[in-house]
Amino acid sequence: MAVKPKKCFFGLKVDRQLDGDKMNSDFLNKVLAEGGDGAAIAACMQCGTCSGGCTNIDLMDMSPRTLVLMVQRGEWEKVLKSNALWMCSSCYICTSRCPRGVRPSDVIEAVKAIAIREGIENDSTRFNQIFVELVQKRGILFEPELMQKYGGISAMIEQAELGVKLALRGKMSPFPAKVKDPKTFSEALEKAKQP
Amino acid sequence: MKYSYYPGCSLHTTAKEFDISTQVVMRELGIELEELKDWSCCGGSVAAGVSHDVGMAMAARNVALAQKQNLDLLASCSGCYNKSARALKALENKTEKERITAIMSEMGISVSDYNIRVRNVVDVLVNDVDIASRVKKPLTGLKVACYYGCLLTRPADITGWDSPVFPTSMDRLAEICGAEVVDFRSKTKCCGGPILVSKPDVAFDLTKKLLDEAKSLGADCIVLACPLCDTNLELRQSDIEKKYSVSYNLPVLYITEIIGLALGMKPGKLGMNKHIVSPKPVLAKLGL
Repeated sequence: MAVKPKKCFFGLKVDRQLDGDKMNSDFLNKVLAEGGDGAAIAACMQCGTCSGGCTNIDLMDMSPRTLVLMVQRGEWEKVLKSNALWMCSSCYICTSRCPRGVRPSDVIEAVKAIAIREGIENDSTRFNQIFVELVQKRGILFEPELMQKYGGISAMIEQAELGVKLALRGKMSPFPAKVKDPKTFSEALEKAKQP
Repeated sequence: MKYSYYPGCSLHTTAKEFDISTQVVMRELGIELEELKDWSCCGGSVAAGVSHDVGMAMAARNVALAQKQNLDLLASCSGCYNKSARALKALENKTEKERITAIMSEMGISVSDYNIRVRNVVDVLVNDVDIASRVKKPLTGLKVACYYGCLLTRPADITGWDSPVFPTSMDRLAEICGAEVVDFRSKTKCCGGPILVSKPDVAFDLTKKLLDEAKSLGADCIVLACPLCDTNLELRQSDIEKKYSVSYNLPVLYITEIIGLALGMKPGKLGMNKHIVSPKPVLAKLGL
């Protein structure tokens, strides 16, 4: 049944309502299973402290407060296509201020992983996946390769000046570092990635 | 005191001066560092957002290795510190521990019950050692803006040794060294580090605000303890100058470097010749 917009007292928005009948725990359970285990999502009282402190809220189409509510309601399509996931800079202000222990940054982190698995694609998902792939490959990140894989030739040219400056100061090696046994490291993580 | 020292990816590349200055300052203060054997990347703020288990395993691996070395883990980089501390805390949770241990055993690493602590360089410097009595060359006349960023102090249930709202540890260290600390209101605001590559405009905007405030307060330099914040504030400073047609020329130094200077060490010994934004104005002010 379509949700009828309700008139509320005190200008309370419809998207702030915590009506029990609108709750759907499917998505919430999925988020908890991904790794939001320590996040008390159900305890959210929609106070908006997270949104109030959020670094990049001006650029988000869905505030962290709304995002947590949408997770509670199981409106996962709205959440997964929101840019809030990719505007979040993991600054943990929301998590340190939340009076109910919701840990919105951990919720967003778990939703990001779900979004990638659901096939959401954009610059951020691409970067994050390349980052993990490269760390997984050798155990230690090799930044020039990250830039090249993510941004291609144009990024390499753009970053060339900085690259030369870093190399001249001995801050960028042409050879990637790695752990002793990259193969076992990589295989174990590949296995962990499978749902 | 002895720690297993976890430099992380950045300290061997873009933040070499942080690595060098940490090692010499710690040695001078009588703290022994043994590099964590076969350490790997902590996964940063990114990995757990691709797969929670992969992110936690990447971070937990270093914790498990430190347990094997039987020493507390000491990280310089705020990111490595935060993620390692998070993994250590996750090991207290039964489900998390099971999931992490399963991946660790695939890697051939056992997670022992020996409970180590995960420490940050700033935490050790401010809480464990007496720097005041060893200051040989006070940094008189130097105005510094101490920048904490996010991962050093947040979230408090993972870090816990300094306030997540109004941290003062680096301010106190800088004052002990004789520097004047400006009232940097943005000291815990985010520089946009993790989204620098995918959303450069957003990160540049956030970083610009920090540089603007530090400059307007008349700071001679920004002092910090995070290589990712340094990437934005120092390495990309010229890009920000270009984008917004402004000029900062604001040196960005690691806390260990200014402590080293106050302890009477030569700038070269601290790796200060490796900066992208030259620290010469700072050194000139100190007569070095």
